[in-house]
Amino acid sequence: MAASRPLVSVYNEKGQSTGNSVVLPAVFRAPIRTDIVNFVHDQMRRNKRQARAVSDKAGEQTSAESWGTGRAVARIPRVRGGGTHRSGQGAFGNMCRGGRMYAPLKVWRKWHRKINLKQRRYALVSAIAASGVPSLVLAKGHSIETVPEIPLVLSDKIQDLKKTKEAVGVLRKIGAWSDILKVYASKHTRAGKGKMRNRRTVMKRGPVIIYDKDNGVKKAFRNIPGVSLLSVERLNLLRLAPGGHVGRFVIWTESAFKKLDALYGTWSKKSQLKVDFNLPQPIMTNSDLGRLLKAFEIQSVLRAPIKRQARRKVKKNPLKNISLMSRLNPYAAVQKRRTLLQQLKGRRTGTTAESKIAARKERTHASLKTKRLSGVNLVKKTKKQQIGATTTTTTTATKTTVSTKSS
Amino acid sequence: MTDTAKKVNTTTTPKKAVPKVPEVLLKKRKLYADLKARRLRAQVQAAKHKKYKRLVIFKRAERYNSEYRKKERDLIRLKRSAKVRGNYHVEAEPSLAFVIRIRGIRGVHPRVKKVLRLFRLRQINNGVFVKLNKATIQMLRIAEPYIAWGYPNLKSVRELIYKRGFGKVNKQRIPLSDNSVIEKSLGKQHIICMEDLVHEIFNVGENFKKASNFLWPFKLNNPKGGWRKKANHFADGGDFGNREQYINRLLRKMV
Repeated sequence: MAASRPLVSVYNEKGQSTGNSVVLPAVFRAPIRTDIVNFVHDQMRRNKRQARAVSDKAGEQTSAESWGTGRAVARIPRVRGGGTHRSGQGAFGNMCRGGRMYAPLKVWRKWHRKINLKQRRYALVSAIAASGVPSLVLAKGHSIETVPEIPLVLSDKIQDLKKTKEAVGVLRKIGAWSDILKVYASKHTRAGKGKMRNRRTVMKRGPVIIYDKDNGVKKAFRNIPGVSLLSVERLNLLRLAPGGHVGRFVIWTESAFKKLDALYGTWSKKSQLKVDFNLPQPIMTNSDLGRLLKAFEIQSVLRAPIKRQARRKVKKNPLKNISLMSRLNPYAAVQKRRTLLQQLKGRRTGTTAESKIAARKERTHASLKTKRLSGVNLVKKTKKQQIGATTTTTTTATKTTVSTKSS
Repeated sequence: MTDTAKKVNTTTTPKKAVPKVPEVLLKKRKLYADLKARRLRAQVQAAKHKKYKRLVIFKRAERYNSEYRKKERDLIRLKRSAKVRGNYHVEAEPSLAFVIRIRGIRGVHPRVKKVLRLFRLRQINNGVFVKLNKATIQMLRIAEPYIAWGYPNLKSVRELIYKRGFGKVNKQRIPLSDNSVIEKSLGKQHIICMEDLVHEIFNVGENFKKASNFLWPFKLNNPKGGWRKKANHFADGGDFGNREQYINRLLRKMV
C-alpha cells in the first residue's frame, strides 16, 4: 500500500457530503497481517468462556471391587451385593455403563489466554486498516455497493441520535441498509445443542458504528440486527474482525475518525493516548508486486528466461556416423577419401598392401644381390635404398598400416 | 491508486502530435535494441571465429597425421638399418599405458583398493590412460591381480576417445559430442578438438595429466569372445597384469 494519505469526506445523516473532509489517519496504511489477526482473535475468543466440568463424584459412588480371576467374567470391578439389577455390573471404568469418564473434566483447565500487548495492538491496527480497503470489506461479505465512500465517516450528529427509527433512517440514507437486509435474511435457527441453551437464532454481522462520545448512539442503534457499537477508545478485535477475518464494514463518526491519529500515532509521531506505541513498520515499503516486476531496475538485471530446456542427447558413435565425425574432425573426410582411393587403386591394379611389401622385398633383395656381386660398398647403398623406399610408401594411409602391424 | 507512469513529451514542434509513451517502455525498448545489436554482432563474430577454428583444427589434424606416420616409419627405418649393420635398435620404453580393472568390488585388500581408487578404477571394466614412470609402475605392480594393462596403439586410443569418450565437465560425465566440450575445459592447454586430445594422450605431452584427468574413466564392455582366465597372470595363460602390446587386441574386443 502506498503511504499516501488522501482526504476522506464526511457525510451528514442524510447521506450527503458535508463540506468537511478529514485526512486519512495513518492507521489505515498499516500492514494488514491477517495471520496476527487470526491468532489474536483465536486467543481472545477464549477469554469469555465459563468453566465447565464433570462432577468429581460422577461414577465413583460405588464400592465396587473386582471379582478377580477364575469366575469366567472380565476382571473389571463389579458392584457388590445383590437384589438389584445393579449388583454385579461393572463399575468405575470409563468403558463401563455408569462408570466415571476417561479423564474427568476439571474446572482448573486453562480457560483464558494471555496475549502480548504488542500483538493485540498490531492485530487491532491491521483490522482497522483492512476496514478501509473496499475489496476486503466486500470479500468479507458486506453489501457496500451503495455506500458513498470507504472508510465511511459520518458527522457527529449521529452520536446524538435517540430513536431507533432515526437510526434506521440514517442507515438507509447512507446506503448501508442493504447490509442490514442481508442480516435479516441470514437469521436462522442454530444448528446444535445451543438451540436449547438460550442461543436459538444465529445471524450475520452487519456494520459496526464507531463513536467518540455516546449521547444516545448506543441505544439508538443497538436494536438493529447485525449492528455493533464500539467506542474509539475501546476498540474490540472480536468486533472488528469477527471470525478472525478482517474487513468488517465500519461506520465512523467524525470525532472518532479524527481521534485515530492520536490513538495509534502516525509513523513520524508516537501515539499520544497509548503508552509507548507507534504503528508497526511494514516489511516492504512498496508491496505492489505487479509494478515491481515490471520495473526497469529489476528487469534490467534479470537474466534471459530459459524458454527451451536443453535435454540429454543420445551419444552417437563418430566412428560410424560420418556427419558427426566430420564435425569433430574435419580432416577425417580427407583421410577416408584417401584410403578409399588407395583401396580402389589397389583393386584395379591388383596390388594389396601385402603384395606391395612382398614386391618391395623382392626389389631390395635383387638390388642387394647385384651390388654384392659388383663389389660396391654395401652399407651406403642400403641406406639410400631405405630412404627411397620410405618416400614411395608415404602415400599409404596410416590407419591400415597401423592395424596390420600390431593388432 | 496513484499510478506513477510518467509521460514524456518528445518533440518541441507544436505542429506534430507525437504520441506519449511511458518512460518505462522507452527504456525497455532501448535496452532490447542494444541487446539485439550486441547479439547480432556477437553472432557474426562467432561465425567467423568458428570458420577459423575449423581451419585450425584441420591443419592440426593434418600435422598430427604426418607426425604419427613419420614416427612409425622412423621406428621401422631405425630397426631395419640396425639389422642390416648387425646392430640392435632398442626402442624407447613405452610411456603410455592403458589400464583396465578386471575384478569387481568385493573382498579387495585395502592397499589394492587405494591404488585402484587413485587410478580412478572404481568399477569393473573401467579403463584409464596412465603415464608410465617409476611411481606408476610400482602402483600397477601393487594392483596387478586386479588389472589388465598394456601399451595402446593409435587405433586403440582413437577408438576409445571417439566411441567411449566422455569428459568431466562441472563434475558431470558429458559425452564428447562436440569439440566445444573439449575446448571449454582444455582450451587453456591448447587442446581444442578430438584430434588434439588424441595427440596429447598418445604422445604423453606436457598436459597429459590434465587431458587424461578430463577424460572420465572409460566404461568398457566385457570382451567379445570372453576372458582367458581372470585369476591368472597373462603370462600364465590368464588375463591380469602387463600384456604389453596385446592390450590392443583386448581393446578391440572391449570397446
